[in-house]
Formats: sequence, structure tokens, C-alpha cells
Amino acid sequence: MNALDEHQSEPETAIAYDRVSKTYPSGNRSAVSELSLTVARGKLVVLLGPSGCGKTTLLKMTNRLIEPDSGSISVDGVDIHSLPAPELRRRIGYVIQQTGLFPHMRIEENIAVVPKLMKWDKVRTSARIDELLELVGLPPDTYRRRYPAQLSGGEQQRVGLARALAVNPETMLMDEPFGALDAITRSRLQLELRRIHQDLGQTIIFVTHDIDEAVRLADVIVVMREGQIVQAGEPLDIVTDPANEFVSELVGASDALRRLSLIEAVSVATPIGLGRVPPDLTIPAETDVRTAFGAMLSAGITSIGLTNNEGEIIGSLELDTVREIARTHPVGITA
Amino acid sequence: MHTTRRTLIKGAALSPLALALTRLPVGAQDAIKVGSKDFPESIIIGEIYAQLLENAGLSVERKLNLGGTVIAQAALLSGDLDLYPEYTGTGLLVVLGESLADVPGLGGTPTAGTVVASPTAVDPSTAVYGYVKQRYQEEYNLVWLDQTPMNDTQALAVTRTFAEENSLTTVSDLVALASTVDLVFSAPVDFEERDDGLKGLRTTYGDFPATVNGVAPGIKYQALVDGDANVVLAFSTDAEIGFNDLVVLEDDLALWPPYHVAPVVRQDTLDANLGLADALNAVAQFITNDVQIGLNGQVVGPDAMSPEDVARAFLQEQGLIPA
Amino acid sequence: MNFDYMIDHWQEILVLTREHILLCAVAIGIALLVAIPMGIAVAAYPGMRTPMLVVLGAVYTIPSLAFLAFLIPSFGLGNKPAIIVLAAYAQLALVRNIQTGLSGVDPNILDAASGAGMTAWQSLMRVRLPLALPVLIAGLRIATVSTISLATVTAWIGAGGLGTLLFNGITFNRPSMILAGTVAITALALSADLLLRFAERITPASRALHSARG
Repeated sequence: MNALDEHQSEPETAIAYDRVSKTYPSGNRSAVSELSLTVARGKLVVLLGPSGCGKTTLLKMTNRLIEPDSGSISVDGVDIHSLPAPELRRRIGYVIQQTGLFPHMRIEENIAVVPKLMKWDKVRTSARIDELLELVGLPPDTYRRRYPAQLSGGEQQRVGLARALAVNPETMLMDEPFGALDAITRSRLQLELRRIHQDLGQTIIFVTHDIDEAVRLADVIVVMREGQIVQAGEPLDIVTDPANEFVSELVGASDALRRLSLIEAVSVATPIGLGRVPPDLTIPAETDVRTAFGAMLSAGITSIGLTNNEGEIIGSLELDTVREIARTHPVGITA
Repeated sequence: MHTTRRTLIKGAALSPLALALTRLPVGAQDAIKVGSKDFPESIIIGEIYAQLLENAGLSVERKLNLGGTVIAQAALLSGDLDLYPEYTGTGLLVVLGESLADVPGLGGTPTAGTVVASPTAVDPSTAVYGYVKQRYQEEYNLVWLDQTPMNDTQALAVTRTFAEENSLTTVSDLVALASTVDLVFSAPVDFEERDDGLKGLRTTYGDFPATVNGVAPGIKYQALVDGDANVVLAFSTDAEIGFNDLVVLEDDLALWPPYHVAPVVRQDTLDANLGLADALNAVAQFITNDVQIGLNGQVVGPDAMSPEDVARAFLQEQGLIPA
Repeated sequence: MNFDYMIDHWQEILVLTREHILLCAVAIGIALLVAIPMGIAVAAYPGMRTPMLVVLGAVYTIPSLAFLAFLIPSFGLGNKPAIIVLAAYAQLALVRNIQTGLSGVDPNILDAASGAGMTAWQSLMRVRLPLALPVLIAGLRIATVSTISLATVTAWIGAGGLGTLLFNGITFNRPSMILAGTVAITALALSADLLLRFAERITPASRALHSARG
């Protein structure tokens, strides 16, 4: 099964799994079984599935924190077993839940861990620490000398991200990094991650069991179940066209609101002149329909103006349109 | 560590008592290493031996106040000691791990109710000494020199008032009293279970009711004086017997072996120092129970003398060393 | 009971205190050299934990007098057997605390350490030991304080130290001497306790926690 053929054709392959299997000594079935997958360079791929589906095992086999029983894995065209594990891991950014920061090290020391292992000089490391803290939105002067315990969960996870980015790895592995954060902090960090990914263009494998997070972040979602890939594709495809009942249930495809969140308002806009002018409220045109709908409900209006980057109104989203999408688009899911 | 310590000691004016007991090598390679156990009587006798040897022109290293029979015996065997004062009874029971029954001529412990006072009976003191001396030579190649008349045996003691009220002179009298008076023993905690303790008393004298007030050895007389007990497990040369005017009950059925003191010496030490045996044997006859109680009484207490001074005064008085 | 002995013989008490400190320091130093690799091994192979602690617990229950007597044939009287006995008794507290400290480190953090590309040795030295350090020092503190009081019994084999005062005082019924020995030993144990409590607090791991609260 090579689910991502369509993406593989033009871009270069960054990570390739070839018939990878893993069974734990204590387990009675495979954690990962004969799994093949290629990840194109620069993509943010989300491994999605319930706990025990093998997604974390697959992730940790990528940097050899877990060794596969059979099959092969290559990262950037190099078989991961062709170099010592610590060396491999230094090339790959790794982010886990907030507890992954070293509590006895200051923030600057935490970020400097991999540069130090790679024997960077002090000046270069120090400059990089400032750069990274700026990147993740933490003013270096305030944060460098602090200990992790002095930071909020969200701040700690920003540091975790900065640490993983320290030596500018081409590949990042992220294991439910935002899982322990509150909803508001989580969505803020998700936006930051998207921004950083767009700016830096690493290949990212991101594990989560949260469908909303997957939809918000992923270029490609890989749905896993019992150690195998059930479906892989762009978020909209997964949500609108689940391969089977399992995926359908997992992604909650029948949830009309989730479908709305996948559609940009501008794509279903009513042209200027047909709606109410001037509208009571405007929002950016690329806002998703779900957010726009929420804004309409709270303002008690039936039409909302859509603006382009210059702030000019380019159309409107009508409540009737939203109803229509929720009811009919797409077909054949709930049947 | 040793060098530092010696330098410091030389530089400081130190009281003789604390340091005399742990004095370290002063350089002479063939110094006779004299030990003792950790109670005043043993320390005084160790000091007596040391001074006699010094008087005989030998150099001596004192290793007094060691932690008991096991330590002293182990050190003697390893050559860390050349000699120390030991008790014949302790040698028999503790070191050899044997009993009176093993001693030829004594033929086993008498049982309750039998009287073993025949005129031809072997003197237990001589028999035990002879047997222990022979067994030490066989087992360890160690030599017992002459034993003292002093017999520091275990014994039961009561207050004079208690003895007179109940007409007590022997252990048998005491056991007979147990049916009418509650007997409370003041003794170390292991007394109840030891074969030479309450368990042994019951075997030898017949079973009798009693309770044991287990106390640290240092305060066992206090418990008797305070009325927390009416019988104390004593050693017959304890100075406290005299201080408190106690009555020692006769061990009429001979549970306890004799405990006479003698120097136990390594054979190679004897061979290398020909005058050693004579020097030590000279004092044996002078150490009697009364003498020893007197010596013990001089070193115990806040304002008492050091064992060194007590030993010197005694030896000078006996004319064994020059005044 | 009075302080006469202390007043009249303070120089001698100082000499004995110095001996006592040297004896304990050497014993604890050797004990650490043995206990650290053992603790690391036990933490690495949890199956070894129970057998190891049973053995060390058994060592701990050997009466000190018997233990000393046992060593005299090979090591004679004096410092050597004393140091061996003290070092052996200290093993239980040290190994148990080293193992507890190392095993108590959050597995997520160790995962992060390997994930960052640390070798097993780097992870041990840079992450695991530093994080276990407060627990390790707590074990060292327990071991040191008990060694200081245990070291009195080594006076039985002529190893010197403050036990000399205690035993002579008890033997010859000199309360003032016993008091001097007791006060000196207690002062020594309390000082060691305070010093190591302080050390416990200034480890990076503890500082990190305290700074978070403060």
C-alpha cells in the first residue's frame, strides 16, 4: 500500500517506510505491521488514530528510539541503520509532551543541548538560542535564564519546539506535543507551528489522536488502525470521503460543523451586490465557514462581509449558504 | 592517618586515660602487643601485664579496651595481639564452645537435687584450667600462663536485708523461695535465654518462676538498689558488691564454671621472648578476689585513678616493680 | 554530669574528633565509589534490585562486633577493618537512594534525552544523574550521619575516634567523659546533616524547583 503516490510524483521523498513491522515482546499482536509510506519533503504529515494504533511506534522507529523487527526506513535518502542512532537523532528534531524539557537546565541550556552535542562553539550557539526564542515568540532577555518550571505549559512547549529546531533539522518528529495544553493555548501553538512550518519548510511527522488538530495542521493525514494505514490523504478528502466506517467515526465525518471548518468562506461567497450592502460585519475572506458562521450567530446577523488583504469587501457569506453546505455537502457520508 | 594522629598527639598535652587505651605503635618492631577487653578489670590486668613486661626490659604496645572476647581472640590469632588476660570459664564456654561436661573429671553438670560433694572430686578450677590450656594449645597454638586465685565468676547477689529476711546463702535457697516470693532478676537482656543464664539455672536447679528485668550492664545494680529487682546477676569481683553491701549467693550446684584469669600468649611470642612467661607468672598468685575488688573500685567513678596508676601502685606494693 | 572533661581536655577531644572525621570521610568515600556503579547497575536492571537490596540489608543486620571480629584475621586491628565495616553498612542507604533517584527520573525526559541524540553515557551524566542528585545526596546524608554514630564502635578495635571517649567513660563510669563524647558526636552528626542538606538544596535540580516556587 502506497497511499501517497499522488504526492510522490513531483516532490522529492524525505522519509520512506518500506514494509516496516514491530511486535512488542509483551503484546499479542503487531504494533506496526508491514507498513509502507513515503513522505514528501516539506510536508506536515499527521499520523492520526486511537491509542494503540501504532502511530507513536511508527514515529519512534523513525529516529530509532524503537527498533523495527523488519522492513527498512530511510530519512533523506539514507537508511537509518547506516549511522549510529545518536548521530541520526541529532539530525532529526524531536518534540514530545511538555515534560520533555530537562528541568534542571535553564531554557538556554535546554535549547543548546543538540548544538552542544554537535560541538558548536559558544558564540554560534548563543546567537542561535536568541534566534530560536524570537522565532517561537519568547523574548530571549526574559526567558533565557529561566528554568522550565517557571514557565507555563504553552511556553514550555514553545521551548520544546525551539530545542527541536536548534540545529535546523530537515526532519521533525512531534509526538502529541500539544496534548497536555488547554484548548486556547493549543490552538495558538497550532497556528505558530503552521507559520514556522511555512517559513522553514521542514518535513514534519506529527502524531495526534485529535481530529481537529489533524485537520488544522496537516498537509496529509495518515489514519492508522491496528498497525496499518487505513487511509491517507488531504484533510478535506479524509473528512469528506472517509474510506470506511472506522475513518468515518474517527473523523466524525457526519459532524456538519467540522465540514464547515474545512471550507474557506471565499469559496462559497455571494458576489457583491446580491447580499446586503454594506454588511454589518466583515471578516477576512479566507476565514473558514465554521468561524464565519460563529461570528454571524454571535452578532445575530444573517450575512457577513468578506474582505481581501487590502480590506476591500469582495463579497459576502449568507446564512442560507451555510445551511445549504451543512445539509448537502458532501453527499453519502451519513447514509 | 596514623602519622597525622601521632604528630597531633605529641603536640598536645593529653590526659593519659583516654589515649593510653588506644596508644599506637611507637616504632619498635618487636614490641609485645598487650590487649585487654572493654571492662575495668580486664584493662587493669592488661595494664599490670604491660608494666611487668616493660620492667623486664621488653618494649610494649598497649591495645587495651578492645570490644570483647571475639575481637581479642581474633586479634590474638591474627598476630595483632601477642597476649591478653582471659578467663578460664570464658575460654571454655565462649572460645572453645564447650561446656563443663566436656572437662575430664567433672563429668557433666550435676542435676537438680543430687549432691556432688565427694572428697575425691576433682577441683573444678584446676580441671578447667588444665583442660582449657591443653585445648588452646591443640586448637590455636596459644599458651595459658599461670592462673590467678581470683575467680570472677558469674553469681547471683541480693541485698543484705533481703538475704537476712529470707535466710538466703545459696542459689538453692533462692530457688526454694521462688514459690512464695516473686523473683525479679536485674541482668543483661540476654540473661533469660542463655545456657549460663536463667535457662541454665532452671536446668541445674529445677524449674522455678521468675521474671527478668533486662537492663544495660552498667545499671544493673541500680535496679536492685532502687527496688526494681530483688536479685542481680553479678560478677564476683564487681566493686559494686562492696559498695552496696550485697550478699553473693553460693552456686551450690555448680552451674557456673570457674573464671580465673591468666595471660593467653602466642607460642611464637613466648619462643622469641624467653623472660616473658616468668615476668607474668610472678604476679598471678597476688591477684585474689579481695585484691581485685579493691583495684576495680579504684578506677571506677568520676574522680577515680587511671588504670595505669592503679596497676603501678599495686605492683610497687607487691615489690614486683621498683618504687 | 558536668562539662569539666570538655573544659579540661578540649585539645584531646579535637584530636579524637579529627580522627573520627577522617575515619568517616574515608569510609564514605570508599562507600560511594562502590555504591554509585552498583546503584546505576541496579537501576539499569530492575531485576537485580530485590536480590541486591536483600544482600545489602543482610549485611546491614550483621552485628558490628561480629563483623569487626570477622575482618581481624585478614585486616588486623585499627583503621582498615573499621573503614570496611563502615563502608559496608553505608551501602544499603547509598545504593537504595541512588537506585531510587535514577529510577525516579521521568521516562519522558529520558526519552527526550535519547531523542535529542544523547548516548546512554551522555544521558546518564547530563540528565539522569543531575536529576537524581537530590535523592542521591539525601542518601549520602543518611549514610553519613549513621556512619558518624556507627564509627563510635570502631573504638572497640583500636581505630580511635570519639568512641574512645564514650567507651572509656562507660567503662570507668565517668559521666563527664561520656557527656563530652556524646556532645562531640552529636555536634559532628548535626553539622554533617546541615552541610549535606545545604548541598541537597543547591543542586541544579533543586534550584530549578525552588526558583519556580519563589
